[in-house]
Amino acid sequence: MTLNVLVITDQREGHLKPSSLEAISEARSVVERSGGGSVTIGLIGSGLAEAQKEAKSQGVQRVLLADHESFKGFSAAAYAFAAERMAAKLSAPLAIFLPDTAMGRELAPRLGAKLGAGTATAVVEIQPGASGGLQIKRKVFGGKATETVNLLGTVVLSLRPNSFAIHPAPAGDPPVEPVEVGELPASAKGLAVERVISTRGDTPELTEAPIVVSGGRGLKTAENFVLVENLAKELGAAVGSSRAVVDAGWRPASYQVGQTGKIIAPQLYIACGISGAIQHLVGITNSRCIVAINKDPAAPIFKVADYGVAGDALTILPALTSLVARNKGA
Amino acid sequence: MDILVCVKQVPDPETKLRVAPSGKSFDTDGVKFTINNTYDEAMVEEALRMKEEFGFTALRVISVGPPRAEEALRSALAMGADEAVLVETPADLPLDPLLVARYIAAAAKDIPHDLVMVGRQAQDDEAGVVGSALGEYLDLPSYSFVTDLAPVPANHLLKMKRYVEGGEEVFSAPFPAVLSILKGAKDPRTPTLPNILKARKKPLKKIPAKDLEAKVSALQGGAKPTSDILAFTLPPPRAGAKMIEFQTPEEAAERLIKLLKEEARVL
Ligand SMILES: Cc1cc2nc3c(=O)[nH]c(=O)nc-3n(C[C@H](O)[C@H](O)[C@H](O)COP(=O)(O)OP(=O)(O)OC[C@H]3O[C@@H](n4cnc5c(N)ncnc54)[C@H](O)[C@@H]3O)c2cc1C
Repeated sequence: MTLNVLVITDQREGHLKPSSLEAISEARSVVERSGGGSVTIGLIGSGLAEAQKEAKSQGVQRVLLADHESFKGFSAAAYAFAAERMAAKLSAPLAIFLPDTAMGRELAPRLGAKLGAGTATAVVEIQPGASGGLQIKRKVFGGKATETVNLLGTVVLSLRPNSFAIHPAPAGDPPVEPVEVGELPASAKGLAVERVISTRGDTPELTEAPIVVSGGRGLKTAENFVLVENLAKELGAAVGSSRAVVDAGWRPASYQVGQTGKIIAPQLYIACGISGAIQHLVGITNSRCIVAINKDPAAPIFKVADYGVAGDALTILPALTSLVARNKGA
Repeated sequence: MDILVCVKQVPDPETKLRVAPSGKSFDTDGVKFTINNTYDEAMVEEALRMKEEFGFTALRVISVGPPRAEEALRSALAMGADEAVLVETPADLPLDPLLVARYIAAAAKDIPHDLVMVGRQAQDDEAGVVGSALGEYLDLPSYSFVTDLAPVPANHLLKMKRYVEGGEEVFSAPFPAVLSILKGAKDPRTPTLPNILKARKKPLKKIPAKDLEAKVSALQGGAKPTSDILAFTLPPPRAGAKMIEFQTPEEAAERLIKLLKEEARVL
């Protein structure tokens, strides 16, 4: 069974995000494991010159382009409309991959509904099915269980960031084909983005970073939170926090991990001075490896952690930071 | 101006999961179902704020599920919703999240809705599919990961902030629409005893799923699920943390980094 995969990428900031590169790499791999077919990148947005160049170097067969003013702000209705036009250019059997970013998570179900497709979100593993279609795995119940799901016919998947490797792309020079989208439906009109508030600075994005260092109330003061940021910087990690830190006004809400914050699944999560309330844990249990630094040996965070340091984060964090810095120098 | 909030009854997050004999789901035997998906409770709270602060008039809640899902709806009524609709599904009806969205869309054709609100995902299957799929089936726009919501009813406009990777977007967009909120302005209220009693008398309409089948069939995807769970497996439980022995912070750091490099291989 051959398979044609269309990857709708996320380039909200003008460039293909790492999670999009993961989706493209996995698309190439799934096609290969299916015994052939093609990978097409679908770019939807406005002002996509850079993203176009990046897409061309991904070792894919085609790049489809919907670069238009009306796609400036992300509207799931508008993007799904464009993606459907792109899907119509490819022949069955067809699978559509998206990164499971804020954009991908909203777009995938809408596109799945539009196409009457087998749809799954936050996918962590993909296998070609024995009798066509795809078999996927996803985590459920806060990482406590895994579902294996069979999807027949056209398939739409969002791929969880940090779950798929980026393999080097083979050389190639795919054609870029503009797609005529036509008049958008009423539901796809009228969305206007006024401005974007960047809260990240020069640290990696929380939901996409392979390593996240997080701090909680145990750090005692806003000033001490810098100790978390210093370690993150040395590790090239993103910075997160518990809600207590946000409620205390030490850091903005965008840092918060958990039920009312971000749900993340890095390779490595380091929780410093965080007790491990259930509302925090639901945001991190899918992490591959969890480290907890907490001075209370009975803190619930140690139940979900892989490695524990029962000690004072205020002294252990600086020790870790200088060790990582020294190792890098060596 | 009417609001429809979609809710799902989910197992208590503390429940000890066991695999059902079929191997395809968790065993519901002896499982305590919590009243509501916590993400949906946040949505009911935000919808109540829309009523209290922005002049929305009626708040209805809808659930697709077995008869016990009535408890989830009663709990939303006790928080302050006005009416409830239960699309009652027989135990043997195969469902997937997109099909649930089709049932809600079919029922919603007869329920006024200027705002349709859904939780960001269910705590059990963590799919997060229903909201934007509903947008498609109802031919409405959808806005997700909203962190701040202020309607301007006179212009049929919503002024919002939403989470994007790297920050937040400040944007405005029209309603009627489907909304999913990352974080409401307030934590969900706990129903008071008088309100729990009052909720028992509030209108709750039950619609057998088969009454909606014709409408569901007319939607893209039809009356059958498009995905099929082959296996539900439990990984071996985490053993608990390997605790690092140390005398000095430096020693703790050395040992931890060594383990992360050589044993966990994440550095
Ligand atoms: C509806 C709702 C939604 C919520 N959503 C979220 C959410 O999304 N995310 C979230 O995080 N929380 C959320 N919460 C809050 C959650 O219940 C906890 O209150 C919160 O996570 C606690 O944060 P914390 O661990 O930083 O603080 P605490 O619970 O106060 O823990 C501080 C920890 O630091 C340790 N400590 C103290 N001093 C030191 C030291 N010197 N070195 C090392 N360790 C030290 C202590 O032993 C303790 O374990 C929510 C709550 C509700 C009701």
